[in-house]
Amino acid sequence: MIEVVNLHKYFGQLQVLTGVNTKIEKQEVVCVIGASGSGKSTFLRCLNLLEEPTAGEIYIDGIAVMEHRKDINQLRQKVGMVFQQFNLFPHMTVMENITLAPIKLKKMARSEAEKRAIELLDKVGLPDKNNEYPNRLSGGQKQRVAIARALAMDPEIMLFDEPTSALDPEMVGEVLNVMKQLAHEGMTMVVVTHEMGFAREVGDRIMFMDEGIIFEEGPPQQLFKNPQKQRTKEFLGKVL
Amino acid sequence: MNSIMKLLSDAIFYNLIREQRYMQFLDGLGISLQLTFYSAILGTVIGLFLALAKLGRIKWLERLATLYVDIIRGTPVVVQLVLIYYAILGSSSFPKIVVASIAFGINSGAYVCELIRAGIMAVDKGQMEAARSLGFSYSHSMIYIIIPQAIKNILPALGNEFIVLLKETAIAGYIALDDLTRAGNIVRGRTFDAYTPFILVAIIYLYITTILSWMMNKLERRLRESD
Repeated sequence: MIEVVNLHKYFGQLQVLTGVNTKIEKQEVVCVIGASGSGKSTFLRCLNLLEEPTAGEIYIDGIAVMEHRKDINQLRQKVGMVFQQFNLFPHMTVMENITLAPIKLKKMARSEAEKRAIELLDKVGLPDKNNEYPNRLSGGQKQRVAIARALAMDPEIMLFDEPTSALDPEMVGEVLNVMKQLAHEGMTMVVVTHEMGFAREVGDRIMFMDEGIIFEEGPPQQLFKNPQKQRTKEFLGKVL
Repeated sequence: MNSIMKLLSDAIFYNLIREQRYMQFLDGLGISLQLTFYSAILGTVIGLFLALAKLGRIKWLERLATLYVDIIRGTPVVVQLVLIYYAILGSSSFPKIVVASIAFGINSGAYVCELIRAGIMAVDKGQMEAARSLGFSYSHSMIYIIIPQAIKNILPALGNEFIVLLKETAIAGYIALDDLTRAGNIVRGRTFDAYTPFILVAIIYLYITTILSWMMNKLERRLRESD
């Protein structure tokens, strides 16, 4: 579903990604962990070209993303993204946040889009919030609306960029539960996270990033219980 | 006491009533308001295009807009007005108010450009990322997401710019356009009274700017309510 070949990203002199190679299969849930500055967010943001890779190739559904920059807007419709800071549109109600993209981009009828939005709000556990403005919601509620907004485009892949890092501790669970449910339904997910419990429970594969590459990866049981490399051991020693 | 009253009533009689000189002021005010109105519209349109050029990704357009803003902001508006009048439009038969509106519009555009640019840049960059990640193009993201939020930042500053503009048009007399300030000058020339006409002019300007400020405050409060 996603293939990444020798991905490099430099910010000026700073080398953030120095050759990332990986394949993500359909319905796979990949959790990306690592210290801050290890390049995990940059890697995720390169997948839908929110960051322009310096070199390398990304294939989504077999399409070479870098060579089809003109179709990037089409491609992004297939790749939903959830941000650490939610990034809901503050001038729109929850309903408008969710229906804007389907109506404008997929030319969906408003009534149909709203029906779908209500289903999605139900799914993320916010059935009665459709007429609220985002600033009336708690952090956890905002993030669940953001997930619903991304799902409204029926993406094939969901990218999560530290979705619980900006939340108060008591709200982390409600967001992770929605993500868990999504994983069980077979969504292909790439999740940059510091929630090791979630990664262990939901992830099919854990990617430990360091020094701008995938330093070590494997199924959660293996990576968490029996890491092979010293760096991985040190990192896990600090966070577990 | 009586002599003061006499002085005052004489001043008002000679400067306002005699030869219907109040009409001079009223006509002048009309010209000043029209001039402000037209140049505000032109300035907003020019400013919007300049801001988009500056924010866009076409390098030469961006350079051109930067050059425009630098030149306009780096030279006095009187000089611009006279240059535009004599060198560019003076030879043709445009009415003076059109010439002046173009000159002030061109000038105001440079300032409005910076207001709009600042207002757009003040919108959190996560908003653009969220819109792009949903599949919106750059321009659609601007139209649906960024500009509606930027307007809240821009409108109060824009109102302020219009008040500044009204006061700046006081130099329209340089190209012999009979605006409010020039009306004061003309009356002064007839009555040889230096104070009264300009005090009247000052009061009228103050009155108009006060109304505009009051309207702006109301607008600002309305905008804040929707937060």
